[in-house]
Amino acid sequence: MKGKYKIVKNILAIALLPMVPAMSMAAGGTIAIVHANAWTMVEASGGRVDDATIVIRDGRYESVAAKAPPPAGARVIDATGRVVTPGLMSADTHLGLVEVSSLEETRDYGVNAGPLGAAFDVQYGLNRNSALLPVVLADGLTRAVTSPSAAADAAFLGMGAVLRVQPGGDVLDRARAAMYASVGGFGAKQSGGSRSAQWQWLRNAFDEAKAYVPPKSGVGAPRDQLQNALNIAALRAMVEKRVPLALRVSRESDIRQAVRLADGYGLSLIVIGGAEAWRCADLLAAHKAAVVLDPEADLPWTFDELGARADNAAILARAGVTIAFSVSGNTIYLSHNAGVAVREGAGLAVANGLAYADAMKALTVNPARIFGIADHYGSMARGLDADLVLWNGDPFEPSSAPEVVFVRGVQASPITRQTLLRDRYAPKLAKDPWPPAYRP
Amino acid sequence: MKLAALSLALALTASAAQAGPRGEDGRPQSAREHGAAQATLPWKRDPFPSTYRPLPRQDALIVDATVLDGAGHRFEHANLLLRDGKIVALSTQAIAAPAGAATIDAKGRWVTPGIIDVHSHDGDFSAPFTSLDAQNSDVSEGSDPITPNVWAEHSIAVQDPSFGRALAGGVTTLQILPGSSNLIGGRSVVLKNVPATTVQAMKFPDAPYGVKLACGENPKYNYGEKGRFPTSRMGNVAGVRAAFLEAAEYRAKWLDYAGGHGKRPDDDLKKDTLAGVLAGDIRVHWHCYRADDMATLFDVAREAGFHIDAFHHAVEAYKIPQLFVANHACAVVWSDWWGYKMEALDGIRENAAFVDAAGACVTLHSDSPWLGQRLRLEAGKALAAGRRAGLAIGPERAIEWITLNSAKVLGLDARIGSLEPGKNADVVIWSGDPFSVYVKADQVFIDGAVVYDRGNPARHPRSDFELGQPSMAAEAE
Repeated sequence: MKGKYKIVKNILAIALLPMVPAMSMAAGGTIAIVHANAWTMVEASGGRVDDATIVIRDGRYESVAAKAPPPAGARVIDATGRVVTPGLMSADTHLGLVEVSSLEETRDYGVNAGPLGAAFDVQYGLNRNSALLPVVLADGLTRAVTSPSAAADAAFLGMGAVLRVQPGGDVLDRARAAMYASVGGFGAKQSGGSRSAQWQWLRNAFDEAKAYVPPKSGVGAPRDQLQNALNIAALRAMVEKRVPLALRVSRESDIRQAVRLADGYGLSLIVIGGAEAWRCADLLAAHKAAVVLDPEADLPWTFDELGARADNAAILARAGVTIAFSVSGNTIYLSHNAGVAVREGAGLAVANGLAYADAMKALTVNPARIFGIADHYGSMARGLDADLVLWNGDPFEPSSAPEVVFVRGVQASPITRQTLLRDRYAPKLAKDPWPPAYRP
Repeated sequence: MKLAALSLALALTASAAQAGPRGEDGRPQSAREHGAAQATLPWKRDPFPSTYRPLPRQDALIVDATVLDGAGHRFEHANLLLRDGKIVALSTQAIAAPAGAATIDAKGRWVTPGIIDVHSHDGDFSAPFTSLDAQNSDVSEGSDPITPNVWAEHSIAVQDPSFGRALAGGVTTLQILPGSSNLIGGRSVVLKNVPATTVQAMKFPDAPYGVKLACGENPKYNYGEKGRFPTSRMGNVAGVRAAFLEAAEYRAKWLDYAGGHGKRPDDDLKKDTLAGVLAGDIRVHWHCYRADDMATLFDVAREAGFHIDAFHHAVEAYKIPQLFVANHACAVVWSDWWGYKMEALDGIRENAAFVDAAGACVTLHSDSPWLGQRLRLEAGKALAAGRRAGLAIGPERAIEWITLNSAKVLGLDARIGSLEPGKNADVVIWSGDPFSVYVKADQVFIDGAVVYDRGNPARHPRSDFELGQPSMAAEAE
C-alpha cells in the first residue's frame, strides 16, 4: 500500500509530542529546524531557502540560512526536506467571537440594536478559550483577522481586530485593525432601499467626523447630526490613526465607488469580498487598494456577484493588487475550518492561474501588511514572531496537514476537541465493553 | 482495513434483524404488491416521466490512463472502451479500437466513474439567490411540517448555473432534495447533469424516487418558532410516527382494493409518497446529525416497517457505525463541516473513514453549489484524515465514496458508479490525481457523450442566465 510508511511515521510523530494542554510550553530557549524547504517570505532572499536551518530564539526568528549548522544547545527538529512556512493567516473570520454559529449567546460578531455603528469594536468580546482556536491552529493558522458582520447602522459594521491564535493566551494581536462597512443589494434595505443611500450615508459620516467639534459642556451631537458621539469619535480616531477602511462590496460599480470614497477622504482601502474586483484590477492597483477575496466564490450567487470567477485572484495579482484570502464555504468554513479552508482556497487560486509564490504571500506577508502587523508577523525575517509550520506535504493541498506548529516560538499542542473525539471513537476500540465516556 | 471491517461485522448481534420480510439489501418486500393489480396502486404511477435522451456521442477508447474503477481497484496504464453509451471493456491489456471510435490518449491522466452527488440543491436553491428566495425559497414548502406531497422536481430551475459548475467538477448524476425545514420535506429527484430546458429532460430514467425527512433542530426550530407543532425532538418523532401510521392504513386500503375488496380509496398525495416508502419503492433520505437521534429513527423505521437508505449529514455516524451496518444504511457525510449548529458540534474529519472501516456504506455529499464542484477534494480530505488516523486506505477506496457507494444510496448501482462492463458510460478524464487541488476534469462523459471538454469552449455549457450579462464578459476595463 502506497503511503503506508508515511502513515506510520506520522502517527509516531504525533505520539511523541508531549500530551500537554495547548501552548503550555515556554517560549524561551533556542530551537533550530534543519533541512527545511523554507518559504521565508523575506523578499531580499527571494522568499525561499532550500535545505534551510531556521533558528528561533526566545520566541522570535533569529536566522534562516542554507545548510547552516544548528547553534549549540538548540533543540533540533529535522524537517527532512519537508516544507516549512510561516504560520498562515486568514484575512477574514469571526474567530474568538463565535462558538456555535446558530447560538446567539455564543456569537459576538454583530449587533443589530443600540447606539453602536462605526464604534462597535469586536476586541472586547474575544474568547481565548474558544474550542475553535486549537482546531484552526492544528491546521497551521496562527493569525486571523476577526471582523464584525453587523452593527446598528445602515452601512458601518464596526471595527475588526487581528487575532493571534494562541489558545488560552492573550489572543488580541491588534485592536482596531480596520473599520468595516458594507454596501450592496441585500444591505441596502437598512438604508431605505438603495445602495446610493448607503454611499451617501458613508460620505456623510466622514463629513460629519471631519467637521465635528466636541461640545464644550455635556455630551451628545449637534441636533442635525446623523452620527452619534460614540460613532463620530470612532470615525475621527480611525481617520487620524490611518486605520484602513474595509468595505464589503462585490459589484464592480460599488468597488469603483469604494475607491472614489477612499480617495476623497484620504483613507486606505481594503475591499472585502470583491467578487468583481478583477473587472477593475488596474484601478485598484493604481490606488494601492488591497482585496481580501474568497478563491472558492466562482458562482453568480447574487446579483452583486454576477461576475464572480475562479481566476479573480490571478487577475488581481497580475495587475499588482495586494491580495489576501478568506474562505466562507456557506459561512461554515469561515471560522470553524478557517485553517484548512484558506489552504484549499490558495490551492484553487493556483489551479486557476495564480503564481504559487503569490498565493503564499496572500496567506502571510500580504494580510500582515494590509492589517498592520507586518512589524512582528508574516515572514521569517530576523526579530519577527516565530510563527512556523512544518508540513507533511504541499500546504495548499487540503489533504496535507501540519506536523509541527509554533506560535511566537511556542509549540502548539496537536490536541483538539476533534482529535479527542477521534481517539475516543477509534475503530480499534469498537469492542471495548466500556462506554466511550470512560475513555480519555 | 479489510480485517477491521470483518471483525466489526462479526461483532454484531442478531438483534439487528428488522420486522417483515426483507431482501438482501434490507429493503422491505411485499408479495402482495407484485401481483397483477400493482399498476393501479397510486404510488406506482409516474406522472412526470423522464424525457431524457443521451446527447450525440461517438464510441471512444481511452488509453494509457491511471484508472480508479469505483469498485475498489486501481489500474495503471489501463484502457477503457466506451461503446453505444456503455462501458464495454476495462483492461491493462491492449484493446483494439472499433471502427469509428475516437482514441483518447490519457497518458499521465486519471480516469474515474462520473461523480455522483447524492445531496444537492442545485435548481431548487438556485443561483442567483434573490430577495424572493430570502422571503420564500423554493427549497422547502414552509406551510406545514409534513409535506410528503411536494416534489423537488417541481421547484427546479434548470437554468441554475450551478449545474454547469458541478459538471466541470466531474459530477454526472445528482439527487436534488427538498430542504430540511420539514419533518417530511417531500420527494427527491435524480438528474443526469445534462443541460436541458425542462427538468423532465434531465431526469434519470427509471431512477427510484426518494423522500427527504429531517430530524433534530431544523423542524422543531422552524415550526416551534411559529408556535406550531413540533417544538421538540420528541415532537419530531411523534409527528413522523403518526404520519406513517396513517400511511399504513391508507396503503392497506389500497392493497385491499387492488385485491378486489372494498371500494376505491380516495387519493391522497401525502400518503401516496409514504405508502411508496412502506412498499419499498421510494427511498428514504433522512437529514440527521446526532447518534442518539439516528438510533431512535432506526427504531422508528423498524416499527413502521420501512428501510432507511441513508442518513444525510450524519456528523456523528462515527459513534454508531455498527447501527449503519446492521440497518443496511449509508452515512452521507461531509469531510469536515462542524460547529455551525449545536447538533454539528461533534463533527470530526475521520467520520467517513471510521464508518467505512466498520464495514458500513459511506458517501460524501455537497449540500452546497460550491462544494458540489469539488466532491473529489471532499473524498481526498476524508481519505487523508483516515490515513492520518492510521487506517490503510487508498484512493481506489476513497473514490467509491463519491461513485459506487453514492450509486447504492440512489439504488442505481447496477447502472452507474463504477467502470464495470455493461454500466452507463459516465466517465471523467482528470488532468491528474483527482484528489489534488490542482487537478481538473478534462473531459466528462454521460452515457458516452462528451458533455464537457475543458479544451473545447464549444463544450462548455452555459445556462441562459449567463447570457448577455456585461459583468460576466471576459474582458473588463
